[in-house]
Amino acid sequence: MSRRAPTVWIVLSALALALLVVFLVWPLFNLLASSFATGKGTGQTGWARFFSDAKYLTAVGNTLILGVIVTASSTVIGVTLAYVTARFNFPLKALVAILPLTTLIVPEVIAAQTWLMLLGNNGIVTRSLGNYGIDLPSFYGWPGLIIVMTFIYYTYVYIGTLAAIKGFDAQLEEAAQSLGTSPGRSVLHVMIPVVMPAILASSLLVFTLVVGNFAVATLLGHKVLLLSVLTYITFNSEMGSDPIMQSTLASVSIFIVAVTLFVQRWVVGRKRHEITQGRGAAPTRLTGLRSALLAGAASLVVLISVLPLLTLVVGAFTLTRGPVMYWGQFSFASIERMLISAPDPLLNSLRFAATATAIGIGFSVIVSYLVVKKKNFLTPAIDYLAMLPLAISGTVLGIGLVITFNTGFLAMTGTASIIVAAYVIRRMPFGVRNASSTLYNIPSSIEEASISLGVPPVATFFKVVLPVMAPAIAAAAVITWTTTVAELSASVVVYSAGLETAPIQIFRLIDTGLTGRASAYGLALVVMIIAPIVVATRFFKIDLFQSR
Amino acid sequence: MTRIDIERLTVSYGAAAVIDGLSVEIPAGCFFTLLGPSGCGKTTLLRTIAGFAQATGGVLRFDGADMTHVPAHERGIGMVFQDYALFPDKTVFDNVAYGLRARKIDKKTIATKVGAYLERVGMGAYAARYPAALSGGQRQRVALARALVVEPRVLLMDEPLSNLDAKLRIQIRESIADLQREVGITTVFVTHDQEEALAVSDRIALMNRGRIEQLGAPEEIYGRPLTAYVADFIGAANLIDVTLVEAANAQGQARVRLQDVELLVAANGQGVGNSTCIAARPEDLRLAEAEARAANGVRGVVERRRYLGNRVTYRVKLANGQPITVDEPGRSGGRREGQTVTVMFDPAATMLVAR
Repeated sequence: MSRRAPTVWIVLSALALALLVVFLVWPLFNLLASSFATGKGTGQTGWARFFSDAKYLTAVGNTLILGVIVTASSTVIGVTLAYVTARFNFPLKALVAILPLTTLIVPEVIAAQTWLMLLGNNGIVTRSLGNYGIDLPSFYGWPGLIIVMTFIYYTYVYIGTLAAIKGFDAQLEEAAQSLGTSPGRSVLHVMIPVVMPAILASSLLVFTLVVGNFAVATLLGHKVLLLSVLTYITFNSEMGSDPIMQSTLASVSIFIVAVTLFVQRWVVGRKRHEITQGRGAAPTRLTGLRSALLAGAASLVVLISVLPLLTLVVGAFTLTRGPVMYWGQFSFASIERMLISAPDPLLNSLRFAATATAIGIGFSVIVSYLVVKKKNFLTPAIDYLAMLPLAISGTVLGIGLVITFNTGFLAMTGTASIIVAAYVIRRMPFGVRNASSTLYNIPSSIEEASISLGVPPVATFFKVVLPVMAPAIAAAAVITWTTTVAELSASVVVYSAGLETAPIQIFRLIDTGLTGRASAYGLALVVMIIAPIVVATRFFKIDLFQSR
Repeated sequence: MTRIDIERLTVSYGAAAVIDGLSVEIPAGCFFTLLGPSGCGKTTLLRTIAGFAQATGGVLRFDGADMTHVPAHERGIGMVFQDYALFPDKTVFDNVAYGLRARKIDKKTIATKVGAYLERVGMGAYAARYPAALSGGQRQRVALARALVVEPRVLLMDEPLSNLDAKLRIQIRESIADLQREVGITTVFVTHDQEEALAVSDRIALMNRGRIEQLGAPEEIYGRPLTAYVADFIGAANLIDVTLVEAANAQGQARVRLQDVELLVAANGQGVGNSTCIAARPEDLRLAEAEARAANGVRGVVERRRYLGNRVTYRVKLANGQPITVDEPGRSGGRREGQTVTVMFDPAATMLVAR
């Protein structure tokens, strides 16, 4: 570019990098640093206490076991469902297509809540079976954790694997068969190795999500000690006095995720096969018993996935008195009470999420533009840092922000700004990934064409690049909005009284057993999530999943 | 009309010099083509003239004014790209009007000018369309109008025909050449296609490894290649190692030895000891009966015969194993495979070249 232009981009890069360092690197550094500090009361570093108290090691062990089990079960369900939908036609198959949406529109806290409404101690199913003298084992602890997390996370494996299978060149299988391999063996020996990296990548993603999961772990864990729960509890009880242990636990979680991501890089990087986009296999139409079985099994999975949504709607309109739900008796009381006497959490959610989405998308677009189109010596670091939040659980990020911005020149703790900051940082990778993938598809030549016609580089960005990116920005904004408004694990750490958001309010209501009222907020939250999706896809014809 | 002067220009990416101390003068109003294989630096040279690549050394002047460090948008260039680079969210009209609007010209003038240039490239009827609704050839016409409507000092074209199919390539090529002569604008045209370069250029600079290997009119580049590289890149050429017997005489002919015979060839300005290689194009060679011991002929055996309709192409192997390709016009080439023949070299069309 010209001599003056680079300085503009370098100044912007430096600014972006500075923001990332202040709001991301510094908090994480503080976290790690204070885990090595010596406590006033105990005279020990966090690590000494960590290794001497069985409680902490048990929590890590449990977290890893849960991670492995949920990853395995999610992978089995996700891969099977993906293979079946890619290769076979059966009745009700269209239902399976809505699966990616369910994870997007049902926040984890609501999934946990509605499962409790069905199978918890006071759940509909538990009580109606109890009436017939059938006692279900307690849903709290391992069974609940495994079942609920599996049905939240298998969609990630499903989406990742489906894309890989559809991209797989079926001619390779035909080639194997022409060389005398049976159809079953050719799937095993030809297709599986090729789609394996995609499966592994999404499985390991699930593992990191389980390790970082806060909502389900807290609401269903009960006596099972888990790292994220323990981190949160330690944070809550130690707030203000001795933040060492929470930092230590947060560091452990960072360490686990870092190792997982390293393994993922290593495994996936080693096993990547170059695949020329081939002809996908046409799905086989199934008939008779096999088709009925498949339709039944697939529908069951889909039904279980959408069950939370149905339960939520029913729960929101069910008569309640305190914690007691009068199933079958309908009432608008919970909804009325929420809208008339306590609408603040909803308004807070709208305000904070809207602000965060606006800031986040603006920042993401600029960062992506720098990283993709204006590479300089700073942009690799920016690129790396912008993706870093993917590897950090909300609880960890929240604690980092609180201990960093508690005092000092940026004392944000206690204000809405720290919630917005947490939102922006946590969801930034979505925005950046979306914007970058669009920018990679915009040839640099249209910018050069504009410059050659006499428009300076910065003006060119606004006149040429931004209009072309507009649909993708809108899509990214919708995705960012939906995930931001549902955010719980970071905001529940950084918020202070009076600044409750809808997910936080739901979390607190469930914790105190007020399920009916929680359902009302849950319904409102789902509406806030769905509305922009409907508007975007129906009225603006935006393809939300184009860059996934 | 603007003259472009380039003096000792160097462009480096890291340690590698893509353009290596290159000097050239592009006369005002010239259709100047940068020709060469990929990686020879031709696109980098064009982008340096445009201001999209930065010179690490040397000077670039437009009509004597130093442009080396002037930002691209202040150079007054028009640029046409291989991938058209039309703004996808703007209509054909708005695409062409873009540069005029940036110059804050009044609406009426814009409408008239855009209309006139769209007519000129034969796209007058498509003003309201979006680029996605146009064919490749139409897009490139619009891109040409967009570049020319701002009346730039120089027109820069980066492989503008490469994405088009063979037939369109010739059509658009002719439109570009006609329009360039009509407007009289200094044009720098980048291509790797020799036929394209020969067809449209006033002057061709054949580039190799960041330098200009040979500069001249199309006839000179094709008819008087100075190096083996040029002879080989443009058209087909037999490159044959020889021993120099006698350097250029008064008629500009040199005497060389090939196997047991001496041949007269064009000295081509090569000094003594400069070269031991001759270049002869297949269509400049003829075959004669082996017995006819004509002057300037070398014996060989027909190894392969390929009938191509309007000509027959032979591969003849000399006694030392050197293969020579000979094209003979006519529909019925009479030589058989295995036949011993004499390859006749035309002293005027056989060139001594530098290796």
